[in-house]
Amino acid sequence: MAPLLPIRARLSPLAFQLRARNVRTIISSSASPATEPEPESLDKPQSTRRKPLSIEQKKFLDKALRVNQAGELAATLIYTSQTPPITKAHPHLRPLMKHMYDQEAGHFKYFNSILARHRIRPTVLYPVWSVAATVLGWGTGVMGREAAMACTEAVETEIGEHYNGQVRELLAWVKEIEGKGEVLGEELQDLVKQIRRIRDEELEHLDHAVENDAKEANPYELLTGLIRVGCRGAIWVTEKV
Amino acid sequence: MTAVMSPMALRNVLRAPAAIRPFLVQSPRSLYHSYEHNEPPPYRDAESAILSSALAHVPTHGFTLEALSLGAQESGYRDISTNLFPKGAFDLVKYHLVTQRIGLKDRIQFTDERMGVGRKVRSLVLERLRANVDAGVVGRWQEALALMSLGENIPRSLKELSDLSDEIWFLAGDLSVDTSWYTKRATLAGIYAATEIYQTTDQSTEYRDTEQFLDRRLEESRVAGSAVGNTLQWVGFQGGAMVNLLRSKGVRI
Repeated sequence: MAPLLPIRARLSPLAFQLRARNVRTIISSSASPATEPEPESLDKPQSTRRKPLSIEQKKFLDKALRVNQAGELAATLIYTSQTPPITKAHPHLRPLMKHMYDQEAGHFKYFNSILARHRIRPTVLYPVWSVAATVLGWGTGVMGREAAMACTEAVETEIGEHYNGQVRELLAWVKEIEGKGEVLGEELQDLVKQIRRIRDEELEHLDHAVENDAKEANPYELLTGLIRVGCRGAIWVTEKV
Repeated sequence: MTAVMSPMALRNVLRAPAAIRPFLVQSPRSLYHSYEHNEPPPYRDAESAILSSALAHVPTHGFTLEALSLGAQESGYRDISTNLFPKGAFDLVKYHLVTQRIGLKDRIQFTDERMGVGRKVRSLVLERLRANVDAGVVGRWQEALALMSLGENIPRSLKELSDLSDEIWFLAGDLSVDTSWYTKRATLAGIYAATEIYQTTDQSTEYRDTEQFLDRRLEESRVAGSAVGNTLQWVGFQGGAMVNLLRSKGVRI
């Protein structure tokens, strides 16, 4: 937190530039997971890391994990509110919806435990995202199976890119740490592995959605476009707040 | 509070115009907390030495520049060393707040597994208040509160209060990470602040009146919290019931 300076200093152009420079947006990456580096130290047992993470790294982790928790909250609520209308009209989709919901609930539980353990604050907009996700899930559920699947496809595409970006950033850290000959540490090792696993499961949901006629949804471009823009906006706001 | 910087970072800070330097020095507090190494101490050696000996003079001289300069003299520094503390007596107050907050985890360890989070919070608050007594500052705390309420000092004081509230909830084992994260910390900050003020006027033996004051405030907050929670739950149930009723009538929602 920057200490309070006289107003003239705070409002000078240089102050704005420095504040802008310090703000770091979450990277997202649409590159395929298959092209990710595979560092060795992810699989080796690690001793305790002695060198602390830099402030930028801590800020990145703080924001990234907060956004991830908010994302999983939204995902669980979307599935919760989509399931009743969808399974009423298409009972054969019940096992699929349950499977996807269970995986999202697991992700949510994981990120909750990470936030509690590392003393990261959750997003202030928690109730806002809860309502928005419920409305989105219910709305697309009522619109029909294809619309619900298109919603899942749009959300999972955005989330997939988001997690891709995070994984690449963390793997860049791992490479830097290996390059300096330092110890990676169990926390980072675990984090990278878990986020990768979660990213893989989200992409699996994306594939399920497409298999179940997501592309057949009637206002496909409009629906997926709106949802993707909404997700990106939500991610951007949650990073800040 | 100082941040540990590499020589390159320090050089870049010193090259910037003086008005901008504080933006470049960032404190890593309240971010991702790692268990793999210890945080650097919040105060450097010289500052720490001066402030801790100054604190010993607070019962007699209060939170004043006098106490600071006596502390500087005692730890073998010259009187001018008090220029290390641009905020003067407030820096001494802040030192007390920071060291007591960081020391809270060492003062109390919970061994009883069955103790609930609420009871742990109560014990932690009482322990923190006891720390004020042990440091001998209770008699001078009203001065400290006055310093903390000066306009220029309010943001830092509030930050310290919220950090303390966060620390107490964390040590009590609270694992919630939804909106209640904010409401819990806000209410505890309010309760702690009120109890601390009450303690400054408490003349009872062993501050028993303060303990009872705290119990009353905690009970109030518990009642208010459960009232709000139950009302929201009721509203949720009514909404869910309405939706299910309509679905059972065949409305496609």
